[in-house]
Amino acid sequence: MSWEAASLGLHPGQKATDAMALVPELVTAEAEPEADAAALTALADWCVRFSPAVAADGADGLFLDVTGVDHLWDGEDRMLDDFRGRLAANGLPFRCAIADTPGAAWALAHFGEDGAIASAGGQAALLAPLPPAAMRLSTETWAQIERLGLRQVGQLLSIPRAPFARRFGRAALARLDQALGREKEALTFRRPPNPWFARLAFAEPISVPEDMARVTFDVAAKLCARLETEGRGARRFEIAFHRVDGRALPLAIGLSLPGRDAKRIAKLFAPKLETVDPGFGIEVVTLVAHDVEPISGRQARLDSGREATVEEGLAPLVDRLINRLGEERVWRAVPVESHVPELAVGRARPLAAPPQARAWDRETPRPTRLFRRPEPVEAVLALTPDDPPTQFRWRGQLHRVRRAEGPERIGEEWWKGAIEDVRIGHIRDYYRVEDEAGARFWLFRAGLYGDPAIPPKWWMHGLFG
Amino acid sequence: MSDFRGQTPREGGLGALRAKIAAIEAGGRADSESLPFGDGRIDGRLPGGGLPLGRWHEIGGTGMETETAAAPAAFTALMAAPLARRGEVVWVLRRDDLCAPGLLGLGFPPDRLIQVCARDEAEALSVMEDALSTVGVAAVVGEVEAADLTAGRRLQLACEKRSATGFLILRRPYGGPARREATGSAAATRWRVCSAPSEPPAGEFGLGSPRFRVELERCRGGRTGAWLMEATDAYCWEMTDVAHPLRLVAELGDRQLAPALPLRLAG
Repeated sequence: MSWEAASLGLHPGQKATDAMALVPELVTAEAEPEADAAALTALADWCVRFSPAVAADGADGLFLDVTGVDHLWDGEDRMLDDFRGRLAANGLPFRCAIADTPGAAWALAHFGEDGAIASAGGQAALLAPLPPAAMRLSTETWAQIERLGLRQVGQLLSIPRAPFARRFGRAALARLDQALGREKEALTFRRPPNPWFARLAFAEPISVPEDMARVTFDVAAKLCARLETEGRGARRFEIAFHRVDGRALPLAIGLSLPGRDAKRIAKLFAPKLETVDPGFGIEVVTLVAHDVEPISGRQARLDSGREATVEEGLAPLVDRLINRLGEERVWRAVPVESHVPELAVGRARPLAAPPQARAWDRETPRPTRLFRRPEPVEAVLALTPDDPPTQFRWRGQLHRVRRAEGPERIGEEWWKGAIEDVRIGHIRDYYRVEDEAGARFWLFRAGLYGDPAIPPKWWMHGLFG
Repeated sequence: MSDFRGQTPREGGLGALRAKIAAIEAGGRADSESLPFGDGRIDGRLPGGGLPLGRWHEIGGTGMETETAAAPAAFTALMAAPLARRGEVVWVLRRDDLCAPGLLGLGFPPDRLIQVCARDEAEALSVMEDALSTVGVAAVVGEVEAADLTAGRRLQLACEKRSATGFLILRRPYGGPARREATGSAAATRWRVCSAPSEPPAGEFGLGSPRFRVELERCRGGRTGAWLMEATDAYCWEMTDVAHPLRLVAELGDRQLAPALPLRLAG
């Protein structure tokens, strides 16, 4: 409902026909709760520029926890002015207020003077003249209070606690206590408030790539200084560039070991900065650290040439490579307990702790190169069905086998799938063979001889070199 | 100081000059280390009595192996295995077909290996450079088609930063056109490796320990040669505690001693 409609005496919950009778030229539209919710979420995201802790309140309200944030604007009044100015520039109708507790702020925003700021501990005086509805009471309680002729919050507050609770219920008393700060109220923040947050605002919007690289370092230095004083490091950093048009462009990097080296973090962000479209300019940049954990000791400089540690050398290298090539392109091979050769090798993050799987067997020969897909082998000659081949053709070349070892029979992992899917053709007999030139191959025969319907096939699976 | 044993005294002046040049080539770092193979027949040919560390080496294959590069990879893993005790080994691939259990079988510890799959040739070389100049990395193996003089020089500078050793496996992409061999190169040594028929101990069936025909085609400050080598401890549970996993079986014909073609002068 627009301001204009409200000024003509319409109110939410009114029947459409009654409203049409009052204002014949009324323009009505279908309610779109999903779109409203989406818009509120977008607004909540936008509000992160003011405070990292934003909670949605019902379908049309937002709570911002601005504790410890207002100094960035030199005071709550300046911050509220900025907030109001920006919301107004976006053409949104709104009311807002700042108070010690969510309850008091809600009451002031809905029923008090728009833009009210309650001084610390001074909300009781501001709440007193408001109607009891400002206390977020249930409809029944509210109706009962109205019936008793209580018209102001001040009157409610003067009632002794015990009779009040008996008459209106504990929930109503809790609401009063929450508004006055005598009881804590839990808010569901859209993101859990992260204390590891840094923010830089610029007098003039920036858009030059060099400036963006510089502010990335500046904001990282700001956050890292705090991490350093608390002896902590973080594994993941998320930077967000807030554009003049209200869009926030996020970027994220990960570290393999918790770190707090601003230079290194800025360097990891550097190649990704070109993906950020500054549009008409960026006015605010925020940086959040995730997975913060304590780290011991000061990080030494990289070029000190002293004793090599993982923290100084390998971890930054792995981070550089992962952030440049992608996580799936940098790995350490780890054993997986499986007999199927291609499944026996897993990939782990290079500096993660090794998994608790049984190590590979050194005595079972495995090739140096294992083909991801076995390649077909033709013209295989074998003396008897279970003998290794005496000659075969692979990639158009005929190889005569000089020495051979095998078979090593490897069955499929029938216990993992449906029993009906188990086929004799899935059995592989592996042979390690050496041709006359000395080249060593690992080939297998899939299936067994005997069933004329499914002749066994030969495949090349790897090379020993 | 590089060692020039085997020089006759009257070559002393020449030896001093060579040492001076070697010192210049090492970038003022005269204490360049080397990793001996443990056999005089091969160590004597190499400058400093072993595979020079803090440099980079080229390893190529023959025939089909220029595409699959299995024997060069096995040989490189065997050469780099002693280095894996000192630090991490980074293996930069273009095709991720390296099989870690296979390397373990040869005696290379896969828990010291970080594998990186690069998207193109330039990226592979720059990842190698990055890894070589990192603290805690003892050796870097890269699989690329070729490294031109500029790339080679950059690799050399990266090696010198932390005395890490580079191994460049020359490997053509599957089905790619054969590129002409790089004529000059900044590599310390260039090897050509192919598998050789194995010899199982008498009375035993199957395959013997893997053998390689190894040719040292180029060697800065040393001499070329060809040998037959064997990875004696491959696929054995017990590793005999020897300095180097490669054992020299026989010396093959020395190309330098091969009868040179008579020179025909024009005019």
